[in-house]
Amino acid sequence: METVTPQHFLVLSFLLFSVGFLGVVIRRNLLLVLMSLELMLNGVNVALVSFSRTSLNLDGSLFVFFIMTVAATEVAVGLALLVALYKKRQSVFSEDISLLKN
Amino acid sequence: METVAFSILLLPLLSALITLLFLRKAGNIASLLSVATSGGILVFALYLIFEGQNEVFTWQTTWMKMSSWELSFGFLIDAPARLLLFVVAFVGFLIHVFSLGYMADDDSKSRYFGGLSIFMFSMIGITLADNLIMIFVFWELVGFSSYLLIAHYFSTDEAAQASKKAFIVNRVGDFGFLIGIVLTYWAFGTVNLYELADLVDFDPSLVTTFLGLALACGFVGKSAQFPLHVWLPDAMAGPTPVSALIHAATMVAAGIYLLLRIDFMFTPQALSLLAILGAGMGLYAGFCALVQRDIKKILAYSTLSQLGYMAAAFGLGMPGIALFHLMTHAFFKALMFLGSGSVIHACHHEQDIFNYGGLRKKMPITAFTFLIGVLAISGVNFLSGYFSKDAILLSAYNFNMPVFVMLYAGAILTALYMFRLYFITFEGESRSENSSHAHENNALMTGPLILLALLSIVGGYHTLFPFAIVESLIPDIERVASMPNHMWMIVLGTFAWILGAITARNFYGRVGKEDPLSSRFPTFFALCDSKLFFDQFYGFYIKRIQDPITRFIEVMELLFISGLLVRGTAGVAGLFALIGKVCYNGKIHAYAFWFVAGTIAFLTYALGVFGN
Repeated sequence: METVTPQHFLVLSFLLFSVGFLGVVIRRNLLLVLMSLELMLNGVNVALVSFSRTSLNLDGSLFVFFIMTVAATEVAVGLALLVALYKKRQSVFSEDISLLKN
Repeated sequence: METVAFSILLLPLLSALITLLFLRKAGNIASLLSVATSGGILVFALYLIFEGQNEVFTWQTTWMKMSSWELSFGFLIDAPARLLLFVVAFVGFLIHVFSLGYMADDDSKSRYFGGLSIFMFSMIGITLADNLIMIFVFWELVGFSSYLLIAHYFSTDEAAQASKKAFIVNRVGDFGFLIGIVLTYWAFGTVNLYELADLVDFDPSLVTTFLGLALACGFVGKSAQFPLHVWLPDAMAGPTPVSALIHAATMVAAGIYLLLRIDFMFTPQALSLLAILGAGMGLYAGFCALVQRDIKKILAYSTLSQLGYMAAAFGLGMPGIALFHLMTHAFFKALMFLGSGSVIHACHHEQDIFNYGGLRKKMPITAFTFLIGVLAISGVNFLSGYFSKDAILLSAYNFNMPVFVMLYAGAILTALYMFRLYFITFEGESRSENSSHAHENNALMTGPLILLALLSIVGGYHTLFPFAIVESLIPDIERVASMPNHMWMIVLGTFAWILGAITARNFYGRVGKEDPLSSRFPTFFALCDSKLFFDQFYGFYIKRIQDPITRFIEVMELLFISGLLVRGTAGVAGLFALIGKVCYNGKIHAYAFWFVAGTIAFLTYALGVFGN
């Protein structure tokens, strides 16, 4: 029977990252963009955990905690910004917030 | 000593500065200040001349220092410097006094007298300077003040053009002079006159003909010698006292003085070239003077001719005689210029001699002193010009026959055009409204005339002067005294002026409004009047040759330097900017995409996917 090797986890991580990246690039709704960003971060987390497991030390796991903390704060700030933005401009779509362009 | 030397140098500068800062509106005070300054210069000059016990006084200090290269500022007061100092201070003072009368009703007196003070400063700087670079600095300053003063009546087109012409033509000569100075420094490692003299004495082979001629370019420009003589006649557009001071007595003579200061730098070839050029100028300017109608232009050409005599004397190896002629010329030519100024002032700025006539009865002092000047320059026996001119002619006769022939013909011409000027202006009947109402000027103007007339009479007796002034003349005068053919030369010289005077009397004794020469010898008149087409030739050169070349260079500059190099590089940068600008489309998705794509690209590069 086929065993689960670290390569599988890396492929999973790559897929998660790619899905997240695709979401960031093609989604217009900033809420979904934020969610896709979370997905990218978690893809990275999966890779780090698997590295931690293969090399038998806790460095990777430690990084994962940092990333989760940062991600939590980032989401808090990001959502707050988004709410503020919606209150100001009645929209959460990315094409409506290109003030600097012109 | 050096305190006095500094005082004499800085006094006129201070006067000019005060005039510039405080007295721009107060012309009367400015003129008095300037005259007082020139009086102070005279006092200081006499102190410098007599206090030195006839020894050479040198003093120098560092002006600026750049690593091993040092530029010094110093004074060298030797016998020629004492003589020129005397001439500049004395004639300068008289001309300042004359200016008080001449410029009395001028609107911008402070500008005029400030300019005179700057000129005195620069001229004394040339006189006292002990190295070539210092001489060059003051050389440019006299050029500048000459420009300033020629352009005094700048509202007339003639004066504005003439001042520019004088400045630019002088620049041409000064460029050669500058090259000469650089070459001198290169060859000798110093520009100090004293050290240069020692070095040349030590090794005469260091001197080359080219070097001497390059330095002589300064003389050619400033003394208006061939081929740069075209500016001096035009420079007569300035006020008459300025013409007397700058363009007759001192500045143009500074060229001769420069030659004297560096006389050890000339090879025999360079000297003989100078002699021939000078003699040629003496003859050429005589012909030009013969047909002029403007009283000041006649005198200007006469100055050119006399400067040619000095150059010839120098070229013949008689620097002392050149200096002697410089001194006597300064007296009688300043006298005649001031006399013409007196006439012009009395005739309401009428300058055409054919509109004068009969002025002797109306202006007896001017006429009489002018006659003395005419007699002196023509070389009438026992007046000042006789001694210096005969010394030149005699040395030419004994050393160089072709030069003598030219100079002798020039001497006859000198007498001819000078008596022509005298007869047409002062004898006969008045020929215009302005001259019939003329009357003698006040003592401010006649006083200097009388003093200068006295000097023009006795200026040739060098034993009358204190030894401190004429020390530099004596060796060469003694050499001339011991030459053969003395009697012969006295006969020839007397013949020259009598011939000129009688011809002028017969020819110009009774004239109308037209020059009798133009109707009796039209071809000759036209040839002299054309001045051998120098102005036309220079005009042609500038218009047809120099201008197209500069325009071609301008186009090249536009194409290659400002086009290809400046605009080109800017264009390349702009092109990159255009490409970069496309990425800034304001879409957050695109930014995220480029960010990640860029990260991946760097990563793959770092991993060595493209090979190292």
